Amino acid sequence: MDLIHPHAKADVVDALAEANAKHERLLVVGGRRHIDKGEPCEVDGELWTTMLDRLVAYDPAEMIAVVEAGMRIGDLNRLLAEGGQEWPSDAPEDATVGGVLAAAASSPRRLKVGPVRDSVLEVEMVSGDGRFVKSGARVVKSVTGYDLHKLVVGSLGTLAVIVQVALKLRPLPKARRTLFAPGWLSAGEELLGAVPGAAGVLATPGGIEVRLEGWPEEVEEQTALAREVAPGLRTEDDARFPAERPWEDAPVVVEAAVPPSALEHLPVVAGERWGALLGVGLMWVGLDEPGEGLRELRARVAELGGVAPAIVGPGGLGAEPVPAAAVHRRLRAAFDPNGVLAPGRFWGGN
Amino acid sequence: MADVEAARRALEEALGPAEVLSDPLALTLYGRDASMVEGGCALVAFPRSLDHIVACVRIAAEHGLTVVPRGAGTGLAGGATPIGDALVVATTKMTRIIGVSPRDRFAWVEPGVVNLDLASALEPHGFTFAPDPSSQQTSSIGGNVSTNAGGPHCLAYGVTSNHVLALDLVLPDGSLERLGSEAPEFAGYDLRAAVVGAEGTLGVVAAVCVRLTPLPRAIRTMLFDFSTVEDCAATVSAIIASGVVPAAVEMMDRGIVVAVENFAHAGYPTDAAAVLIVEVDGSPAAVDAQARVVEEAARANAVRSVRVAADPAERALLWKGRKSAFGAVAQIAPHYHLHDCTVPRMKLVEVLTGVYAIAERYGIVVTQVFHAGDGNLHPLLSFDRRVPGTLERVLLASEEIVRLCVEAGGALSGEHGIGLEKRDFMPLVFSAEDLASQACLRAAFDPEGRMNPHKVLPAGARCGDFAMLRGGDAAEAAANLPEGSWI
Repeated sequence: MDLIHPHAKADVVDALAEANAKHERLLVVGGRRHIDKGEPCEVDGELWTTMLDRLVAYDPAEMIAVVEAGMRIGDLNRLLAEGGQEWPSDAPEDATVGGVLAAAASSPRRLKVGPVRDSVLEVEMVSGDGRFVKSGARVVKSVTGYDLHKLVVGSLGTLAVIVQVALKLRPLPKARRTLFAPGWLSAGEELLGAVPGAAGVLATPGGIEVRLEGWPEEVEEQTALAREVAPGLRTEDDARFPAERPWEDAPVVVEAAVPPSALEHLPVVAGERWGALLGVGLMWVGLDEPGEGLRELRARVAELGGVAPAIVGPGGLGAEPVPAAAVHRRLRAAFDPNGVLAPGRFWGGN
Repeated sequence: MADVEAARRALEEALGPAEVLSDPLALTLYGRDASMVEGGCALVAFPRSLDHIVACVRIAAEHGLTVVPRGAGTGLAGGATPIGDALVVATTKMTRIIGVSPRDRFAWVEPGVVNLDLASALEPHGFTFAPDPSSQQTSSIGGNVSTNAGGPHCLAYGVTSNHVLALDLVLPDGSLERLGSEAPEFAGYDLRAAVVGAEGTLGVVAAVCVRLTPLPRAIRTMLFDFSTVEDCAATVSAIIASGVVPAAVEMMDRGIVVAVENFAHAGYPTDAAAVLIVEVDGSPAAVDAQARVVEEAARANAVRSVRVAADPAERALLWKGRKSAFGAVAQIAPHYHLHDCTVPRMKLVEVLTGVYAIAERYGIVVTQVFHAGDGNLHPLLSFDRRVPGTLERVLLASEEIVRLCVEAGGALSGEHGIGLEKRDFMPLVFSAEDLASQACLRAAFDPEGRMNPHKVLPAGARCGDFAMLRGGDAAEAAANLPEGSWI
């Protein structure tokens, strides 16, 4: 298997030109933290983006950072913290920015910070057939042409190699607190309704975690409101969120996405290792193997109008059809006509 | 060749005779939008249902007409201005709010629902629809989606794309697809995101699933006035740099303040060089904390006075002035041309003063009222196009303004779109390869170029693998462009 380590964006163009000429199939690899998400597929080599890790531009007063796609999340977090800001991915330190985006791996605080796709302002990419393309702009608001940069978020490295991105940032919260309360999903729903502006409400078989962040006075106020419905709650400042992750050490972790109000229909098929983000509609489920349990979960999720790809371990994406299949086919054919970028890895056989 | 008469008969049968217009007055009225470009169309149809939209698209394809989707027609870039043998599909009669799901924090709506009507309908549930373009009393959700509309409150809440979870799209071949999902993730590429802001070139939006934003528990609206534009712009930078993201930061220069005050009587200081409206919202504690930081930033930059809206009525009055600015400038001259560049926020002073200098050189009155917190400028050139030579000067000044913004690292449009007006500026910000790739995205949805041709991409930008049979042909495009579209 070929291993390609581009040191510059131009190297990626060369590598893809060569792969096209040789009819080789490549898997784009960042920090390997999100690499399990995707259908199993055969490739002839890997293209590692980790040497593309430069900071291109960061002025805290613009609240925008421009970085190469191989930058590690930990390095980015430290850089931005010096400016009092964050790009809220909450991904592992050794994950890369490009990997987070290719997998569309949003923060568990997305109730407040939004999905990761909303933070991408500009992308420089190299298409499957080796063309260098820029989309978007380095400003917080732009309706200037078609948003190719939004298409590559969640594309699992199948349309283009993301080589550089401009990210919309947020101020670091001045206070962070987690509230721990006993109870089941219904208790979480009650807290979700009682605490306006929570960053996350997680339900697990062990209880509820409510993440608060913002101004210190604001967090105090939210805590008081939470106590009105959950007098026995325990608080911890600056805790990791989520603190409890019962799904985490399972060989297979599935991320089920359903309309938020449908979450309550999932625990019965999820077993004992799960965590659900209330108000968002995500549930992470830990499984021992991609067998009958996964099939049952996916069937239930499909009935509820959602999807349940495995994000850790084998299990693939599932068999949900893609909408506008012809549009998907044409996009794939236009950006990767020779099938260089991991053919078969994406949804719907793309 | 288009068979307009056959298309008209088929549409009347499918939609009913009352929903199809073909008289010369209607064709003239619907031959333009709120931009300066005048076009023309063959037929206008008013679908009342999703099935009607499908019928419109199929009938147009069958009889050789292109389709131009249209909402309320408030677009400022010519995105809804039809050209040639076009069927205008106006969704203004599809005004139903299909369902509101407070627990899921989404609502399904038809594309013709007016932005402010949606916000009002959500209010009793404790929610709002965050994008609030100045046209919100008139503009429709379908149009908001097509232009990825903004508005003052997008600073904190994000643009329309962030508030659209899913949409039902009638593709150019008449097929219906649901893009995006009521669930937070979905199978496939994010085609929903491609359609939002695509200016009606990828299909007709037939229904939209919008995200509901909880109404803030507390709001504080403040008016600051400054004796120089520089102090005002420096305050904006200072606020952003301080780690506060207000709900809105809007700037108005003296020319606008005077025009608006005559009209809205909001008590704006007409002797100020510039005023800033800053709104912070959230929990009562967060509002206090943010307001403190914002006031400090203003005081550090020589603010002359600070006025805090005492009650909802005063708040509404302060906003009435801002939101009626584009109407109030009719006092200055009968016509205006409005730009929409977004620039890096640290370049505000440089670009604002540059815009004044350009206007002075061409002898044109320019006023500025804009979303300062986002760096989204709206230089407004006022003129009388009946005076010979004036339009030409306005267009030359416009081009210089666009170039100035691009050189500062800006984008051509922050919220109005490219349409016809800004189309030929696209090569200023994108390479030929970038534009060809964008043409590929468009062709993936519309390989035969049936949908809103000539918009967004400059003539000649085409996808190598998918020749756009209609929309991408440079010679045809040039021949079809209406007079007055200088692009």
